[in-house]
Amino acid sequence: MRVNLIRPILIPFPLGIPGFFKTLVDHEVTVELKNDISIKGILKSVDQFLNIKLDDIQVVEELKYPHLSSVKNVFIRGSVVRYVHLPSAAVDTALLEDATRREAASQASKPR
Amino acid sequence: MSFFGFDSSRGHPAHGPGFGTAPDAFASISQHRGTGQVDDDEGIDFDDTYDGLGDQLEEADDDFNDDTFGGGESKNEPVGKDFDFFGSTSKVTGAINEEAVRYNRQQPPPKTTVAHSSPPKQDSKPYRTGYEAYKNPSYIPELQVDPGLWGTGPAKPANDYGFQQSQQGEYGSGPSQQRSSGAAPKIMMSLEEVEAAMRAQAKKPTPISEPQQQTQAPPQFSIPQMQQQLPAITRDTHQQVTTPYSHAMAPQNMNAQHPAAPPDFGSGQIRIQQRPSQQPSHHKHRSSQILQNEPPTRANSTPQIAPNLQATAPQQILQRGQNMPHQAPDAQESPRPRQILQNPNRHSAQFGPRTDGAPPSAQIQQRGPVAVPNGTNPTPVIYHPSQIMNLPEEERRLYLEEEAKRAKRNHKIFLLSKGNGLMTPQDKNFITRIQLQQLMTATGNVNEPDPDASLSEDFYYQVYNQIENRPRQNPQQPLSNFAQTYLFRTGGRQGGMGRRYRGGDSHMQRMEQQVQRAVEAAKAKPKNKQLVIEGSLGKISFSNAKTPKPLLNIRRHDSSDFASRSSGKKPQVALSTTDRKAILKNIEAVYSTLMKMEDHDRRQPPPPTNESDTLSIQAAAEWQQTWKDLNEKLWTDLKVNEPIMPESASLHPFIAFLSYPKGKKAIPRIFNHIDENQRLTILTLVLIHLDIIDVVRLAQPQPHGSQPSLMAREQVDLFLQTVMPSLFSYVTEAPLVVVIGMLGLATERLNMSAVARTRVGLEMLTMVLSRAAIIRAVEAPEDEIWNQWLAVYNSFFDTIEPLLGEIFPASVNAGQDQYVWQFLAATGSGANPEQQQRLVLAVKDRVMETLQQSKTLPPEMASQRRGNVNLFMQAIGLDVDLLDG
Repeated sequence: MRVNLIRPILIPFPLGIPGFFKTLVDHEVTVELKNDISIKGILKSVDQFLNIKLDDIQVVEELKYPHLSSVKNVFIRGSVVRYVHLPSAAVDTALLEDATRREAASQASKPR
Repeated sequence: MSFFGFDSSRGHPAHGPGFGTAPDAFASISQHRGTGQVDDDEGIDFDDTYDGLGDQLEEADDDFNDDTFGGGESKNEPVGKDFDFFGSTSKVTGAINEEAVRYNRQQPPPKTTVAHSSPPKQDSKPYRTGYEAYKNPSYIPELQVDPGLWGTGPAKPANDYGFQQSQQGEYGSGPSQQRSSGAAPKIMMSLEEVEAAMRAQAKKPTPISEPQQQTQAPPQFSIPQMQQQLPAITRDTHQQVTTPYSHAMAPQNMNAQHPAAPPDFGSGQIRIQQRPSQQPSHHKHRSSQILQNEPPTRANSTPQIAPNLQATAPQQILQRGQNMPHQAPDAQESPRPRQILQNPNRHSAQFGPRTDGAPPSAQIQQRGPVAVPNGTNPTPVIYHPSQIMNLPEEERRLYLEEEAKRAKRNHKIFLLSKGNGLMTPQDKNFITRIQLQQLMTATGNVNEPDPDASLSEDFYYQVYNQIENRPRQNPQQPLSNFAQTYLFRTGGRQGGMGRRYRGGDSHMQRMEQQVQRAVEAAKAKPKNKQLVIEGSLGKISFSNAKTPKPLLNIRRHDSSDFASRSSGKKPQVALSTTDRKAILKNIEAVYSTLMKMEDHDRRQPPPPTNESDTLSIQAAAEWQQTWKDLNEKLWTDLKVNEPIMPESASLHPFIAFLSYPKGKKAIPRIFNHIDENQRLTILTLVLIHLDIIDVVRLAQPQPHGSQPSLMAREQVDLFLQTVMPSLFSYVTEAPLVVVIGMLGLATERLNMSAVARTRVGLEMLTMVLSRAAIIRAVEAPEDEIWNQWLAVYNSFFDTIEPLLGEIFPASVNAGQDQYVWQFLAATGSGANPEQQQRLVLAVKDRVMETLQQSKTLPPEMASQRRGNVNLFMQAIGLDVDLLDG
C-alpha cells in the first residue's frame, strides 16, 4: 500500500491523516523522502504536520547512503516526505474510506 | 593606638576606596569633628556629644594585630587600592551565593557532610579571587586556613562554618570576609595555647610547642628524638603561619646525626639518601614534591617544604616499627599524618606501640572528648583530602562513594539551576496558555454540538482503536474532549508516580482547571478567522493546526449548480451507467447513505418501556420514520429497480455497481440495512446477471489453461468474501418456492456454459441446489411443490450435463477443484439414480485421476483431495474406498 502524501502546500491535507498514522505507531513503515532516500523503521510518532519519528531505522539503499548506516532513529520533517509505504495488513481500507467520506462530507457541509 | 594600624586621629576615611558606597554611621560625626571649627554655626561640637567612652578602651594585647591583619606594613605605605574589599568580594558573590544555596540544600540530611566538605571549597574560592594582595611574599606567606585546625569534632567546624556562612549571608561584603578568615589563625592559636597549657600540666615532656614563639623551642631539643618527632607532626597543621624558625628546628628533630641543620630543602634530600632502597616510591614522591617547589626562596618555601619534613618523620617511625610492611603503604600515601591528632582513636593503634606510648596516649586523653562525636558517627568526618587515605579500605570506599554521589547530585542541581529565574511566573503562564490553545485547536473544537461531528475529525483513529479493542474506558465518552483527557491522564500518572510530590498533584489540578477555563473562554469568544486592519489593503488570515491558512482560494462549485447539472443529466444516467465516473458516483452516494444509516442506527432510542411513555414512543416512531426514509434513499441509490434490459449493451446499474471493489464491499453493509424483499431482489438481480457479472465474465478459463488475470482473480476472491456470504445468508433461509424460482431463472436465462466454468457461477448454483436438498431433508415439503422443484432440476441437469467435463479448472495437479466437487455433490444429492449414473460417468475420469494423484502426495494433502472426491461420492451413495478396493 502506498499513500501519496505529496500535497500542494496551499491546500490543507485531510485532518484525519495524522490520526490515521497514529494507528500505525509501532508498525514498520518506509518513508521515502523527496531527496530519494528511503528509510525503513518503526513508526514512533506523527504530529499534525506529519513530522515523523522513526526508530530502529535502516536506509533501504544502504550502499548508496552509508552515512546513515549508523543512525538509529530519526525525526523527519513532514515537508520533506514524499511517500510513506505502509504495511497493508495494518490498514483497514474500508474504514479509511469511510473516514475520508466523513471528512469530505463534513467539509462540504461547512460554509465556506 | 590604633586597632587596624591606622591613624585613628584622622577619623574614618568616609570617601576612601571600598567604603564609598557603604553608609557609615560615624561619617557625619567624624566630618563634624574634622570640620568642627567651620561648622560652629550649627552649634554642635563633637566633643560635646562624645561621651569619651572610647578613651576607656583597653589598648593592650594587640601585639599580633599586625600579623593577623597585615597592618604592619601599612604604617610605612599608604593605603593602597588593594583595600577594595567590596569590589573584590563582589567578584565572588556568585560563588558565595552558590555556597549559600548549596549549604541550605545540604542542611536536611542528618549527616554532617556539610561540615567536612564545604569548608575547603569555601576557603579556596574567595582566596583565589579576592586576596591577590596577600600573595605578595611580604605579607603573610600563605594564609590558607587548614580545616584540620578545628579539631576532630564535627560540631565545632560546623559552628565555625555556620558562623562564616551567616556572616557572608548577612553582609556578603569584603570586610566581614576578611575578618572571619583573618580571625581563623587567631582562634587556632588560642586553642593551641590552651592545649599546650594542658599538656604541660599532664606531662613533663610536652609534645606540643608553640611554633610561633621561639621561647618554647628549647624544651623540644631536650626531648628524646622519638618524641620530638611527634610535635613536629602535630605542628604540621600550624605550618602555614609559622615563622622561619620552624624549619630550622625540624631538621634538628629528625636528624640528630646531622647537627649542621641544613636548610629544610636540603634535609629532604638527605632523607632520600638515607633510605634509598627501602622506600623507592616514597622517594620519588618526595623528590617530585621538592622539584615542584624549586627554586624556593627561603621565606617562601617554608610552608611548602615544612609539610614534607613532617611527613618524613612518621616515615621514620614506621620504618622502625615492627610491622613495617603493613604500615608502609599507608604512610606512603599520607605524607602528612596530622590525623594522628585528629583521629587519635583510629591511629593511636598504629602509632602507639612504636612511639613509647606516652605522648600519643596523652594526646588521646586530651583529645578524647573532642573525638567522641567522631567515634559515634559511623562515617568518618573528613576535613582534608589526605585524611581519606588513612581510612580503612572499607570506609574509604564508602566515603568516596558517598562523596561521588554527593558531587554528582550537586552537579545536577547546579546544571538544573542554571535556568532558574529566567522566566517570571507571568512568562510561564503565558507559555502555558499558548500551549493550551495549541492543544485545543489541534484536538478539535470542543463546542461542536454534535459528538459525531468531532468524531469525523479523527474518525479513523477512533474507530480503529475501538475495533482493535484498545482499552477505552467508556465508549459513550465524548471523544472530543482530548485536552481534558490528556491532562487528566498525565495528572494521574504524576500522582501515581510519587505520593510524596503533593505539590505536583495540586499543580496538575490547577492545570486541569486552567484548561477548563481556557476551554470555556474559547467557547465564549467567537473565532475570528480574519483580521482587517483599518486602512490596510488586505486581510490577515489566521491559521492554526486545525485550519491551515488557505493561501489559495479555489472556488467550489455551488451545490445548487451541481444539483441542477446532475438533474439535467438524469435521463441519461440509466443509459450511461457504463460510464465509470457515474458508477463511482453512485457508489459514493450509496456509501454516504449507508453511513447515515449506520449513524442513525447508533442513535436508535431505547424501546419504550411502557405504553404511557409517549415521549419515548414518539422518539421511536420518529426514528423508525427516518430509518424508512434512509432505506428508501439507499434503495434508490442502489438502482436495483432500474429496468432490466437484456438486450441492452450497457450493464444494469447495480451490476455495474458490483463490478467495482467498493461496490462489492458495500454489499454486506447494505444487507444489514434492507429488508427481506430487498435482499431477494438483489439476489435475483445478481442471479439473472450471473453470466455477465464481472466475476464470471472475466474469470472464464483461458484457452491455454493459463489462469485468468490477477485482477480478475482478486475480484473473484473479493466477491466470494463480501457478496457471497450475504447472498448465502439469505438463501439459507429462503423457502423452497424461492429456490425453485431461482434455479428456474438460472436455467432459463443464463448462459450456463459461461457460468459453470467459473467458481462464482458454480458456487451460486451449489448454494441453490444445496438449499433445496436441505429443505427436502428438514422440512419434508409437499409433493406438489417438490415436483415443481424436480421439474426445474431435471431441466437444469439436462443443461449442465454436457458441461460437466469442462467445469474443472485447470489440471488435476492444481488442486483447486474443491468447489467443483461441492457442486457435484450438491447436484448429485438432488439427482435420481439414473441422473447419478450419468453424473458418475461424466466425471469418472476426473475422479480416478484425482485419486491416483492423491497417492503421490503427502498424506495431508492426499486426504484432503480424497475428502473432496468423497464428498461427491457419498452424495451419490458411494465411497472412494470402494474404488480403491
